[in-house]
Amino acid sequence: MSIDAIAPIASVAPMSAALGSPDRGVQAGSGANFGSMLAQGLQKLQDAQNTADDLAVQAATGKLTDVHDYIIAATEANLATSLTVAVRNRALDAFNEIMRMQA
Amino acid sequence: MGIFGAIGIAGTGVTVYRKWLDAVSDNIANVNDAVPTSADVFRARYVQAQAVHYGDGDGGVVVAGTALGPAKGRLVYEPDNPIADRQGYVKYPDIDLGSQMTQLIMAQRAYQANLTVVDRAKDAYQAAIQVGKG
Repeated sequence: MSIDAIAPIASVAPMSAALGSPDRGVQAGSGANFGSMLAQGLQKLQDAQNTADDLAVQAATGKLTDVHDYIIAATEANLATSLTVAVRNRALDAFNEIMRMQA
Repeated sequence: MGIFGAIGIAGTGVTVYRKWLDAVSDNIANVNDAVPTSADVFRARYVQAQAVHYGDGDGGVVVAGTALGPAKGRLVYEPDNPIADRQGYVKYPDIDLGSQMTQLIMAQRAYQANLTVVDRAKDAYQAAIQVGKG
């Protein structure tokens, strides 16, 4: 019986080819997308706060026609702030979790 | 409409019912305005609510306008009234106080209902923010 000769080891494929494949899970642009999403969210929060502030000034100066307008605007600003803080905390948690990986 | 849609929509409802309350209050305030038969009598105002379609627009409700009650008024025999005409009649607005009080209750309850929606929507959104914190 004959034993086949050991085949030479094929050269290792370059890593860049595997990393550069389009079906990679994380796209390069996703970081920027999250950033712009966050910026948009902050802009909307700023708008909500400004609306509530304007209505508060109107209430103080006696120009407010609808009491509920201010209450609703304040509620929306409050919710938007809570949401932004929640998103920020989650993002920070995710970042901390990643930082703990190297330990 | 922002991300807190339900709050904004309920807010438009609150505005409409506030205006309806104003209209009813104006009608009740003027229910006894006697005028000479030759003059124009006060006409009741009725708020016309109109839906803002949720699919096409933001959703909610707006006041499309106000409709006026009958211009004729009702003739009342009050010969002692200094503004009575030669036959002893004056004109009063054609407003039924009982119907106005019913509308007042409806407007008040609907106002409160819309504010309850605002409150519940706030609770719901806050619960959504709390997801995963437990």
